[in-house]
Amino acid sequence: MPDTVSININGVAHDVEAGQRLIVAAESVGEVIPRFCHHDKLEPVGKCRMCLVEVEGPRGKVLMPSCTLLVSDGMVVDTESAVVKKAQEGVLEFLLINHPLDCPICDKGGECPLQDQTMQWGPGESRFVEAKRNFEKPIPVSDVVLLDRERCVLCDRCVRAADDIAGDPLLTFIDRGNHVQIQTFPNEPFSSYFSGNTVQLCPVGALTSVDYRFKARPWDLGHTRSVSFVDTVHSSVDAQTSRGKLVRVYGIENDRVNEGWLSDKDRFIFSAVHSPDRVTAPLVRGDDGFEEASWSDAMALVASRLGGYLGGEVGAIGGANNTNEEAYTLAKFMRSVVGSSNLDAQLGDGLNPHLAATVTPRATIDDLDRAATIFVWGPDLKETLPVLYLRVRKAVRNGATLVVASPAGTGLDAIAAHVVRYRAGSGSDVLRKFASGDKGYEGAREALDAGPVVGLVGRSSLAEDPMMAEAAAGVVRSLPDSKLLTLLTRANIYGALDMGLAPNLLPGRVSTADDEHAEMLEDAWGHLPRGTGRSTTQMLEDLASGAMRAMVLVGADPVRDCPDPGLAQRALEAAEFVVAFDAFVTDSSIHADVILPAAVWGEVSGTATNLEGRVQEVNASVRPAGQARSLNAALDDIAHLMGVDLRAAKVADVTREIAAVAPAYAGITPDHLTFESDGDGVIVPLEGEQPLKFIPVEVSVPVVTSRLTLHFPDALYDDGVWNRNAPTIAGLARQAEARLHPRDASMLPVHEGDIVSIEERFVMPVTLDDTVPVGSIVVPRNVVGTKGLTASTSVKVEAVEGGA
Amino acid sequence: MTAAANWEAGRRERAKTMLGAYPDRRSAIMPLLYLASLEYGHVTEQAMTDVAELVGVTPAQVQSVASFYTMFKREEVGKYLVSVCTSISCHLLGGDAVIDAVEDATGVERGRTGDDGTFSVERAECIGACGGAPAVQVNYETVEGLTPDKAKALVKWLADSQPEVVLADEMQQLFGGVRSFDWGPLESEGPVAAVPAFGPFGSAKEGR
Repeated sequence: MPDTVSININGVAHDVEAGQRLIVAAESVGEVIPRFCHHDKLEPVGKCRMCLVEVEGPRGKVLMPSCTLLVSDGMVVDTESAVVKKAQEGVLEFLLINHPLDCPICDKGGECPLQDQTMQWGPGESRFVEAKRNFEKPIPVSDVVLLDRERCVLCDRCVRAADDIAGDPLLTFIDRGNHVQIQTFPNEPFSSYFSGNTVQLCPVGALTSVDYRFKARPWDLGHTRSVSFVDTVHSSVDAQTSRGKLVRVYGIENDRVNEGWLSDKDRFIFSAVHSPDRVTAPLVRGDDGFEEASWSDAMALVASRLGGYLGGEVGAIGGANNTNEEAYTLAKFMRSVVGSSNLDAQLGDGLNPHLAATVTPRATIDDLDRAATIFVWGPDLKETLPVLYLRVRKAVRNGATLVVASPAGTGLDAIAAHVVRYRAGSGSDVLRKFASGDKGYEGAREALDAGPVVGLVGRSSLAEDPMMAEAAAGVVRSLPDSKLLTLLTRANIYGALDMGLAPNLLPGRVSTADDEHAEMLEDAWGHLPRGTGRSTTQMLEDLASGAMRAMVLVGADPVRDCPDPGLAQRALEAAEFVVAFDAFVTDSSIHADVILPAAVWGEVSGTATNLEGRVQEVNASVRPAGQARSLNAALDDIAHLMGVDLRAAKVADVTREIAAVAPAYAGITPDHLTFESDGDGVIVPLEGEQPLKFIPVEVSVPVVTSRLTLHFPDALYDDGVWNRNAPTIAGLARQAEARLHPRDASMLPVHEGDIVSIEERFVMPVTLDDTVPVGSIVVPRNVVGTKGLTASTSVKVEAVEGGA
Repeated sequence: MTAAANWEAGRRERAKTMLGAYPDRRSAIMPLLYLASLEYGHVTEQAMTDVAELVGVTPAQVQSVASFYTMFKREEVGKYLVSVCTSISCHLLGGDAVIDAVEDATGVERGRTGDDGTFSVERAECIGACGGAPAVQVNYETVEGLTPDKAKALVKWLADSQPEVVLADEMQQLFGGVRSFDWGPLESEGPVAAVPAFGPFGSAKEGR
């Protein structure tokens, strides 16, 4: 119970939490004080003076800004006196001196704090008759954000968000007095992964996003609360629609998850939903390539072909971009109808499903707020889980010690107390030394001994042995007072694993080796093949060799995303029959015999599970494109054609069935999930214990040696099908480059900007980078120019003759 | 390679001393901007980028500081920057007539630099010489108790003799009038002492 103080506001006594700002305390008891610069998630600056209130002091009542004033016991405050009113009118008149009042053409009009507060607290007229400031408008401050400087009231919100929250202080005030304005440095745009947040924070229409400008009026927008599917954090979003199209995505403050922040990818990727390249009708391969077909014909074909194989000859890859209900229906369809355990939502790019889905003790995102030490062994959070990166930044701002281990520089290095750098492929060596507090690692080791510790463990890149994450998890787990979060990154992968889309998992965090639970599931489903199925890599190998014959691809692109793209290509070419549920014709689904148009995020409803195991509602905000359908509805129909009733036509029925048969999801009712009830979702298991608990132990991983070892990290803006189809961010996709330590470069020999070839096929320019360990090479994965490169630690690198 | 590696050797040394003078490196932005503007003639984009790299902040943050203070010149300045004070004391005692005279004698409007690059003229806020108003600074060396005629003579002297380094005492002797009580710089310690990082920056006298 926090300490309280008693304060008096407008003659009424209130007990409020001690240590908070007056403006926040007043709001908590229903006294709203107008403000522009104050924002709950930013440090106070007291810039705009809109929140002036009268506070009694030794020299009588004085006007004080309530956003910088801490409450104290016995404080007497007046927020409605004539003096306060006069001050508010004065401040507003002053703020409006240079404001153009172009509300009728301003995107903010209708949802604008300046407009609203002028209506409520403003003087009504201005005495200012001089010329207002004029600026070139708008100027782009980044590729996605535009600035109309004359609208700005200089509240400092965007500057603080860029600096304190995102750690990208690229937006600042310049000049002074009447000339003060927000600006970037020439030729150094505000290219932050979090720039869109400033658009949402701006209390006037000064910062706007390129994709929403002049698109809609706020009062016409439809609002749907949902969660972002860009990564596994599942940030709460308000998906806003106009005339049946998504036009804007705003962050919602869910303090357990994203605190209102979004990455620009969360914010701007929605336009891919309306891409003209969407598959909008079933496509069936004919003599001259794909031909449009009716759903009934296409499904009849799928049902008859899939029914013609032995269960084990068929496999399914994907399901991570779907809701829990869709994933569950896929697991049920494959196991009980097709009769196959060959299921994998990961593409050989992830972790042991038992570790990812059932790691114990598992941390929550807000455990980071309470951690004394945070240990990151995995991918660069800034690139892969940007909102989690913000949470770690916040924890460090509030005093947590950060230890980061990675084969190359990461976004967190700048604020880490200890950076442990290891050469790609030699992680286990370093981990062992580090765990035993070897010379050179004492500081980092000492930090880990100060709990509570939250360990964030994952695979630093596709080229790294997935066992490395397990080994690191084992080290964290051996520390007293430690918890773990695993770092898988793809959309609803945790939901997919929880629904049994893994060769060794059944729905509800049950191991395929758990006979008791398997029997219960068999009773519910009617049929269940026992034993462990094949992983994606095994399935691809078996398809290529002919040991397996058919494949179901569900929103998965193994040719892009699995460690060995060549194998995926050969496998899909060799397969007798491939059906793809997909929204796009991808490098993988192009090999399908049938493509069924899949409804995607924004078009489907259900639930989803994030990386901490939090189940939240996912809501449709627009109708599916063309004839696209949700996976559960399509599979329900196909199962009917195969003579089985999956009872999956309605999402609510599936949600109920999950609660009944998936042990970790027992007791979940729609009440837990509707955003009206709480908005934060629930962490599962809600009641009782989950059947499977993976307790990591320290394992040894072989060290890979080669002259140059490959670190192959993911980039936020990649050449993936979604990024490519979202025009706002498509142009931001990273280009291929080979980062090398200057010493290795001189051995090849190459200079900055020279061209090298990797595996004799992939050519790209060299960037010298002394944060790359000697003996390794860093290449971004899945960007233009690295598509098809096999993620093997050991690579052949050569200087290209005639390079620049 | 750090950006300031190409600076003149003496300046690199001074930069190092300045960076060491503060517990927070960021505090060295202002003295470093002076140094960088010596290197580049004025505070160029490159100057701001160099300082940002030395201090470990973004160029945008350096620009924010550089653009706030009028003494960081972001455009080219003539060999002699004549700053005429027109704040209250100087205004009351004829500062406006002095600046008119300076404009007249140099042929350069306030806020501008002459085409031949000899003179820049600007209107300055209080330069702390109220006791000797109206006051003028030439390259930040102060002359007090000027009249329009004396100001014209000062400009003519500058144009004719083209001194490499101008000194306050010399100009005061030749053209100045009443001088205000000036004790700050004599203190070596305490609140009115010289700013530590300006020690390594040096003084105009050393320039002679």
